[in-house]
Amino acid sequence: MSRLAQHKTSPITKREVRIGDAQDEVCPVCKSSRYLTPSLRFLINPECYHKMCESCVDRIFSHGPAQCPIPGCRKTLRKARFRAQRFEDLQVEREVDIRRRVAAVFNRREEEFETLHDYNNYLNEVEDITFNLINQIDIEETNRRFEEYEKMHEQEILENASLEEREKVAFRDAKKAERDLAKERRDLARKEEEEEKKEAEENKRDVLNRLAAGQDAEKVTKQGQQVTLKKRMDRQAAAERQRLLHLSDARNGSSSLIRGLKAKVKAEPEAPIDPFGGLKVETKYFSVQDDYVWAGVQETKADVLMGAGGYDVREFTTRALCDAFSGLGVFIGEDSAERERIGVDEKAVGTITAERGVKRMEAAS
Amino acid sequence: MKFMIEDLPVLFPYPRIYPEQYAYMCDLKRTLDAGGHCVLEMPSGTGKTVSLLSLIVAYQQHYPEHRKLIYCSRTMSEIEKALAELKALMKYRADQLGQEEDFRGLGLTSRKNLCLHPSVKREKSGAVVDARCRSLTAGFVKEKKERGEDVDLCIYHDNLDLLEPHNLIPPGVWTLDGMLRYGERQKQCPYFTARRMMPFCNVIIYSYHYLLDPKIAERVSKELSKDCIVVFDEAHNIDNVCIESLSIDLTEDSLRKAARGATNLEKRITEMKETDAEKLQNEYSKLVEGLREADEARDEGAFMSNPALPDDLLKEAVPGNIRRAEHFTAFLKRFIEYLKTRMKVLHVISETPPSFLQHLKELTFIEKKPLRFCAERLTSLVRTLELTNIEDYQPLQEVATFATLVATYDTGFLLILEPYESDTATVPNPILHFTCLDAAIAIKPVFDRFSSVIITSGTISPLEMYPKMLGFTTVVQESYAMTLARRSFLPMIVTRGSDQGQISSGFQTRSDPANIRNYGALLIEFSKLTPDGIVVFFPSYLYMESVISMWQSMGVLDQVWKSKLILVETPDSQETSLALETYRTACSNGRGAILLCVARGKVSEGIDFDHHYGRTVLCIGVPFQYTESRILKARLEFLRETYRIRENDFLSFDAMRHCAQCLGRVLRGKDDYGIMVMADKRFAKKRTQLPKWISSALMESDANMSVDQAVASAKRFLKVMSKPFPIRLQEGISTWSYEDLMEHQSKLQSEKQREVRNGEANGGDYHLHGDEIMREAEAVEDEMEDADMEAAMMEIDA
Repeated sequence: MSRLAQHKTSPITKREVRIGDAQDEVCPVCKSSRYLTPSLRFLINPECYHKMCESCVDRIFSHGPAQCPIPGCRKTLRKARFRAQRFEDLQVEREVDIRRRVAAVFNRREEEFETLHDYNNYLNEVEDITFNLINQIDIEETNRRFEEYEKMHEQEILENASLEEREKVAFRDAKKAERDLAKERRDLARKEEEEEKKEAEENKRDVLNRLAAGQDAEKVTKQGQQVTLKKRMDRQAAAERQRLLHLSDARNGSSSLIRGLKAKVKAEPEAPIDPFGGLKVETKYFSVQDDYVWAGVQETKADVLMGAGGYDVREFTTRALCDAFSGLGVFIGEDSAERERIGVDEKAVGTITAERGVKRMEAAS
Repeated sequence: MKFMIEDLPVLFPYPRIYPEQYAYMCDLKRTLDAGGHCVLEMPSGTGKTVSLLSLIVAYQQHYPEHRKLIYCSRTMSEIEKALAELKALMKYRADQLGQEEDFRGLGLTSRKNLCLHPSVKREKSGAVVDARCRSLTAGFVKEKKERGEDVDLCIYHDNLDLLEPHNLIPPGVWTLDGMLRYGERQKQCPYFTARRMMPFCNVIIYSYHYLLDPKIAERVSKELSKDCIVVFDEAHNIDNVCIESLSIDLTEDSLRKAARGATNLEKRITEMKETDAEKLQNEYSKLVEGLREADEARDEGAFMSNPALPDDLLKEAVPGNIRRAEHFTAFLKRFIEYLKTRMKVLHVISETPPSFLQHLKELTFIEKKPLRFCAERLTSLVRTLELTNIEDYQPLQEVATFATLVATYDTGFLLILEPYESDTATVPNPILHFTCLDAAIAIKPVFDRFSSVIITSGTISPLEMYPKMLGFTTVVQESYAMTLARRSFLPMIVTRGSDQGQISSGFQTRSDPANIRNYGALLIEFSKLTPDGIVVFFPSYLYMESVISMWQSMGVLDQVWKSKLILVETPDSQETSLALETYRTACSNGRGAILLCVARGKVSEGIDFDHHYGRTVLCIGVPFQYTESRILKARLEFLRETYRIRENDFLSFDAMRHCAQCLGRVLRGKDDYGIMVMADKRFAKKRTQLPKWISSALMESDANMSVDQAVASAKRFLKVMSKPFPIRLQEGISTWSYEDLMEHQSKLQSEKQREVRNGEANGGDYHLHGDEIMREAEAVEDEMEDADMEAAMMEIDA
């Protein structure tokens, strides 16, 4: 915030506001004009939004409620409700009044919705109601909807209103804090600058003194320069550190302020059907080992005589494993069905796959 | 000339090259290889554009990626210069290679300059041309025609649809003039030809705004790919361009017009509801879905687009309460009415966007979110309503843009309401300034999107200020000195008058008669001794006027009048161009002239005073900005808070860059010569902030002179300059032929090898560094200057 903003009061104060231009500055009731009475002030009543001057209001409505003096308008007005006009366009003035009323009731917040689509539809609906109220389309129906909603969501409306109030206060506080901080920083910068200037002066004086004392001129000036340079570097580094610190502070602070749609609560993913009721049939795999500890083989393995002939126990174990597991991938049921279908001599070939192999061999030869 | 930079063969369209050009190219290549941004400062008049173009074109053609070049310049004349340069380069390449390369280079400028339509092109104002062109070329106009309605179309535009969309214009380099001629012959619109051909071009040359102004950039520069090479030439003012492109000023008048526009929209909506309600309903349902038409962005005719918005926001659906057209117009009206109310306040207000929004919400129940979608919603509505008289809605669009910006950016912007034009005015004429304080916001998309951005200018010192202000990091940042065979320009700082009284345009002494008399004496003396033209720069119009009137009463002008014609720049551009014309005539026919102008005016930026058009430039006073301006104050404060740039540093930087711009006006080449006088005692401390090429030529003895000393020195200088100086003396020093270049390269090579042998080579950095080249060139220059020069000069004398 700039310095200018500090002596800013509310943007619109009575004293400093110009309303309207010179030509329409005539009171429609008593016809007194701004030209003759420079202190002329116009008031309106949110019943009918007819404009009249302050003295007319005093004159007509001091003794209690009376009819609007504008021809054709028979609304009964009370003095207490007269107020200054805020917008140049009275239509907008009225619209804003209606909006105030609507906003007080329809105050759901974006956080309450799960999808943007819903939120937008809600906004659209509210706008429809407001628009109807303003343009007096289906007034009864709209009013009914309005009241219905108000009744239904009484509790939420109250909650949201208080929430909003709190937010407003928080915003004001934050603004004030920001302003103070800015001021502080400005002062700091000014002070820093002054200090720097003073230091430079001091340094200069120091150099002069030393020169006067008869030291080597070149050396002294060089030293002086170095001192200034070093000091400046130190200061810059310190400032940078400070800034980074501030930055991280700000980042930490701001994260809580981000708002958006309501966090979607994800439904638990549905578990797959489990017909065995938790009983698990898992295939176990074994990997081929280099060495199997088994009494039948151990002796042979240790025997030097066996090894000398080139015999390896591993060959035996591999074969044993093959014997044990080969054929596990063959499904007899499938195979027999297949065999019946093609009608092969079952003694000639073991499995259907082997049959295919035989055929291929024949074809190749 | 053809030579190699590392593995890259470069064709340079001249037989000789300057050492700094070679250094510049090496640094450019280094940047492109590294794929980063750079800031380069090269003295004016040393062929920056041609070296840039020849390197980048060579780079494009040699490597298989064929990276596209986007060359942005500031003015029309610079764009045309660059196009002509490119054309000559491509012709040279074709001659050398023996074949035409498949290459397209196009320039783009406004419709006003490129229109061929017989009645539209006669319009004077650019805005009117734009509007009329749109009403003839918009997509829906064509649809109407197809439906059989009687509407006017532009034949030049429609002819484009008959051509192949990727081959609207044959390959080659097209100057703007050439495009116009081709368009006339083929009956096709040059503007849309250029726009549509942009994805198929190798080189695009256009103005800054097409990239920086978010309102235009979205339309024009959207389809450029990430590996494009972006060049900003004459970029010393780029931060101001960025800021201007996002700043908006609203007046009571423009608000009134905007309100009228909103009312018109409302009327159109009711009309449309009666005749074609379906269309509105279509738009509505599209908005509900949050869909945007895919071809929407391609719609060249649409008149407005969104200011810089974060991408995720662009994908979001428009909020529900402004979905319906009539809701939206009511919304706009309310917003405008609110702004009008704010305008009535009679004291200065400055506030941040958040506090503005808060107050807005309290008063009118306008939330931040719909406000943010304002510009987009308006665009959509205008398209649906098929409005043709778009210029009427310009103020409304401005308000919508303002709304969008104010709701999008919390920081970096400030609202300032000034109820009176000046401090002394009594009749209120309020202006609401919505100023951008942060230049980085507008240029950020450019840096994000393109991998290589090159920022270059003749005067862009101090280099480190720009990365700081614009928020990017550089891989190369370099400033080149000027290699000269003789000292062809003489910078001087005059701090005292002949009476030893200090001269300054500072606030305390600016109207002191003694001070002004000293300035007058300076002017008189230089008008006597300078041949042909003198250009004088003042810090502001106001100061110039007061000084001139005081000179008049002191009789200074009478004395100047004896030797020179006196011409004055005014804020009016036509008057100024007349003055310039007269000035040139007077310089050419020997009468000689003085042009008094302002350091931030038109003359200081775009106009060259080469050779006899400018032999002396006088800078009277340091051209500081007007510091009482609230906008400037706000910006200074922002710079201090965010970038830690001190007020005084920035002001002095800004003054000196303008000063350097002014000084650079007189020296436009190596065969040119001129005197540069900075007349203010405060310049003595700001020497270091001048560009390297000026400050290195500024000798210690010339940095603190009185008027008579300066005169003596200038006379001596002019005497030397007036001797003939054959070009061959420059060879090998400030211009290199091919042999010189080869010699230099082999020398560099052997040095490298020696380093490698010694084991000192620094890691993997095999690139040529510009500063090494420059250092060596300067060394040669020094050597030459002493021995050979003397001999050569003796030869001439004899």
